[in-house]
Amino acid sequence: MIGFLCPAWSLVTKLADSEYTTDGDPDFESVSHLAISTERSFQKQDAVFLNAKSVSKKNARWHKDIGLGFKTPAEAISGTYIDKKCPFTGNVSIRGRILSGVVKSTKMKRTIIVRREYLHYITKYQRYEKRHKNIAAHLSPAFIGVEVGDIVTVGQCRPLSKTIRFNVIKHQKKQVKGSKRFQKF
Amino acid sequence: MGISRDSRHKRSHTGAKRAQYRKKRKFELGRQAAGTKLGAKRIHEVRVRGGNKKYRAMRLEAGTYSWGSESISRATRIVSVVYNASNNELVRTNTLVKGAIVQIDATPFRQWYENRYAQVLGKKKRQAAEDEAKAAEGDKPRSKRALAKCLARKSTVESAVDDQFVSGRLYAIVTSRPGQSGRCDGYILEGKELDFYLRKIRSKK
Repeated sequence: MIGFLCPAWSLVTKLADSEYTTDGDPDFESVSHLAISTERSFQKQDAVFLNAKSVSKKNARWHKDIGLGFKTPAEAISGTYIDKKCPFTGNVSIRGRILSGVVKSTKMKRTIIVRREYLHYITKYQRYEKRHKNIAAHLSPAFIGVEVGDIVTVGQCRPLSKTIRFNVIKHQKKQVKGSKRFQKF
Repeated sequence: MGISRDSRHKRSHTGAKRAQYRKKRKFELGRQAAGTKLGAKRIHEVRVRGGNKKYRAMRLEAGTYSWGSESISRATRIVSVVYNASNNELVRTNTLVKGAIVQIDATPFRQWYENRYAQVLGKKKRQAAEDEAKAAEGDKPRSKRALAKCLARKSTVESAVDDQFVSGRLYAIVTSRPGQSGRCDGYILEGKELDFYLRKIRSKK
């Protein structure tokens, strides 16, 4: 029997990979009571009454199925964010057109620009030309890790702002070439 | 008036300046904000699109407020505006708008509570009343059955809300739109919401 001396590994505690930028993020309030929330009004879901004497479940959360076969993300059901424009936990309904495109920019707060490419036919030359349109879509906090280049499905909803009439309802990460992931097509 | 709600005067999504090709239409109209203040009730009736009415409250002093956890509503006097998430000016001028935090008169709620549960609200008053209560339980004559029913009902009031009864003023939030419906109704703040706004109010001072 070979006595194998295991050196005592010092416990290295990895720094929790949490985002320390608050950026007006109302979720931060729920992380710790001492957290400084930058929201000026209390964030809550309208559909949930928080002060019922008989508390059925701590921090009750309301969510809905948006229909058309789209699965509501786990983060929407179990998360703590409040977003009235979220299709799963807020007061918007998805109806009308369902489009998809590539994420072009994620710099705005809770909204993204989606780029849709298409071909336009020129009859005289019997050939096509590339055209594109940018759509501003609301991105719910239920979708985490949305980056430029990802494919996203957006559904039409009522106007949420001057340019936003769509809401992200499905998200698919960009396939990196050479990655071992099997792409089902 | 001159206030219009159209988007034809704004630049498009691409940034292009839109040329004006028609005048303002009546269906795009906007009206002056009500800016409802505290005072003797004054409501103006407005004829709106379709022949319908809107009640523009210019001054209000009372509203119906609900105590959520007890599921009751009472008409009470509004004392003052205490916090507004959008604009501090509205607090200074005591302007009633939806979402404003106000102080309301607590007496109707105290009366209801003491009738139903035969318990006194407000800690300081309770200590003083404890001596009196033992002697003067017959301030309101109750039959044996009514008294038994009263005592059978258990009720716990959150301490933060209980404390407010001492001063006779409860914090509430306005949930109606006074400039549209002519009413200033809302609900009493409790729990996390109350903590949140109390913190906001204290940090202001």
